[in-house]
Amino acid sequence: MKRILKILLVVAGLGMVLCANGQNQSSMRINEYLVFNTDDYQDDFGQQSSWIELFNSSYGTVDIGGCYLTDDPNNLKKYPIPGGDVLTAIKPRQHVIFWADNQPYRGTFHISFDLENAKEIILVKSDGETIIDRIPVRKDLGENVSFGRLNDGIGSINGDGEGWGIMERTTPSTNNVTIDKTIKSTRMQEMDPYGWMMAVLAMTIIFLALIVLYVIFKYIGKYNIQQGKKRVAAKAGKDISEVQYGELPGETYAAIALALYLYREQSDLHDEESYVMTLQHTDRSYSPWSSKIYGLRQTPQLKKK
Amino acid sequence: MENILSNLKTFWMFTGFANVQLGHLVMIVIGCIFIYLAVKKEWEPMLLVPIGFGILIGNIPLFAGLEVGIYEEGSVLNILYQGVRLGFYPPLIFLGIGAITDFSALISNPKLILVGAAAQLGIFGAYAIALAVGFDPLQAGSIGIIGGADGPTAIFLTSRLAPDLLGAIAVSAYSYMALVPVIQPPIMRLLTTKKERLIRMKPPRPVAQTEKILFPIIGFLIMAFIVPSGLPLLGMLFLGNLLKESGVTKRLATTAGGPLIDVVTILVGLTVGASTQADHFLRIDSIKIFAIGALSFMIATFGGVFFVKIFNLFLKEGNKINPLIGNAGVSAVPASARVSQMVGREYDRTNHLLMHAMGPNVAGVIGSAVAAGILLGFLG
Repeated sequence: MKRILKILLVVAGLGMVLCANGQNQSSMRINEYLVFNTDDYQDDFGQQSSWIELFNSSYGTVDIGGCYLTDDPNNLKKYPIPGGDVLTAIKPRQHVIFWADNQPYRGTFHISFDLENAKEIILVKSDGETIIDRIPVRKDLGENVSFGRLNDGIGSINGDGEGWGIMERTTPSTNNVTIDKTIKSTRMQEMDPYGWMMAVLAMTIIFLALIVLYVIFKYIGKYNIQQGKKRVAAKAGKDISEVQYGELPGETYAAIALALYLYREQSDLHDEESYVMTLQHTDRSYSPWSSKIYGLRQTPQLKKK
Repeated sequence: MENILSNLKTFWMFTGFANVQLGHLVMIVIGCIFIYLAVKKEWEPMLLVPIGFGILIGNIPLFAGLEVGIYEEGSVLNILYQGVRLGFYPPLIFLGIGAITDFSALISNPKLILVGAAAQLGIFGAYAIALAVGFDPLQAGSIGIIGGADGPTAIFLTSRLAPDLLGAIAVSAYSYMALVPVIQPPIMRLLTTKKERLIRMKPPRPVAQTEKILFPIIGFLIMAFIVPSGLPLLGMLFLGNLLKESGVTKRLATTAGGPLIDVVTILVGLTVGASTQADHFLRIDSIKIFAIGALSFMIATFGGVFFVKIFNLFLKEGNKINPLIGNAGVSAVPASARVSQMVGREYDRTNHLLMHAMGPNVAGVIGSAVAAGILLGFLG
């Protein structure tokens, strides 16, 4: 039985690892596309074609080798993204461009359909079945006008276009919105120039967090005391209301602490007492034949006056 | 002969004597003062000795291109400094702190957790002051965290928000932690009446092992869900404590709370000290940081003590808290709890507050990590 359980655990573990891999690919998003490219980004062959930008919305590298891009919901495996290409490992929060020029023999990033004839762009996981993201292709966009997510990686993944819009300018392989790292602090300075709001807000959060902890451990403590009383009452054969649990006077603790201190730190005191045998540890962990200890200086100790 | 003289002259140009400036000498004196305070006065010697010696190392005058300085990429000191710059030393220290911290005092009297929350007022008071004297919010957040009295947290947050101020903030945080016995008692006396100082608190109840094991797990889940940005500190703190309390990972707990924390403390102290090179450190901003740092400790002490006084208004007779443990809400463990004990015994030699003060003290560790997470979330 135990063996079966172990096997099941290993299988479950492996399953979770595989799922985790799937989850990585789930972080990929179709981020922007351009249908009519006449005066925009050029590919390595100097040609201007439609393009699709994918974005890794996670904070880990995702290998999209083995995933699929398609424009046909009935043929989810239309363009398999080749595996084994180091360029398909997309770094965290980074983009990659696929040329929708229907010329897949030109390399990994040239796919087998074009957007001028496509109704929809679909990104499919490496299992060939699970749709990660989809977006209809708009044909009403003018030349060199792209359609993309208003915030990189954010918005719907079911094709309803929520969070998408016409871009002010095309941004192939870069963020649709430029992220300024200081934006939060600048905004905070504008909103709260004296820091009072931050003080009130942060103190409230800290109090709330610690109040939750307080309430939980108050009740855990009460439960524990109750259980302790029950145990003591059962042992002593008394009623639970007669039992005092865990309240010793401070002097008792002080006496215990003193006894422990004397026992641990000054155990040589016992040599003065009768009927007490004291085993004193002596350091002789060296061999007298090869000992260097006498040639070494002891670690100095600061002597107090 | 001429060649020999020429070579000697070249050699002279390589030496520290030829490159020394007044700033270097000032910093070397400061380093020596740190070592003196640590050895002679025993003020946080575990920190001040490596920091003080680090200051000496960091302020040996060098000519550019020697590739031994802490800010020269690829040098040994620079590699060691990455732990501070990238902020991975502080979580390792927190792992060790967790492994040596006993939360029993807190679990037995959980309302003391709230004192640890109140003392974080020092952080946000200092944040407001730093904004008022002209620091930007990122710098103000880093300066404010000095008020948490938690060196690793200060380093962790500053490395993310304002790395340029790292040396001044780290030295300020550790220096004031050493000065807790000097800064806190006058404020504690000022804010309390004689009657309050004599309050005797109920002895803590015994805490079951199950409670001790549950505390790091539940504590972590709650804190991390509320402030995920504090994850590296909170995760390591509570993991360390679970290693200690689980009873089945004694070796790991011993390593985390002993050799590991010692090694990282040496490296943090050394590299923080060495990062205070004169040209980075001797600035007006550093003086402002030191001044705000002192104020932050005072505000934190005020916050903790005053909160206990208010809290007592709602507590029944017999359950009241001695406000002298309010100062321990900062996370200088166990220095501020010792201060509570010391001041408490001045008024009643048989009133031992140490164990009670350890409650808010360890709550302060959690509170300052949460505060760092909040600052990181809002500003980072």
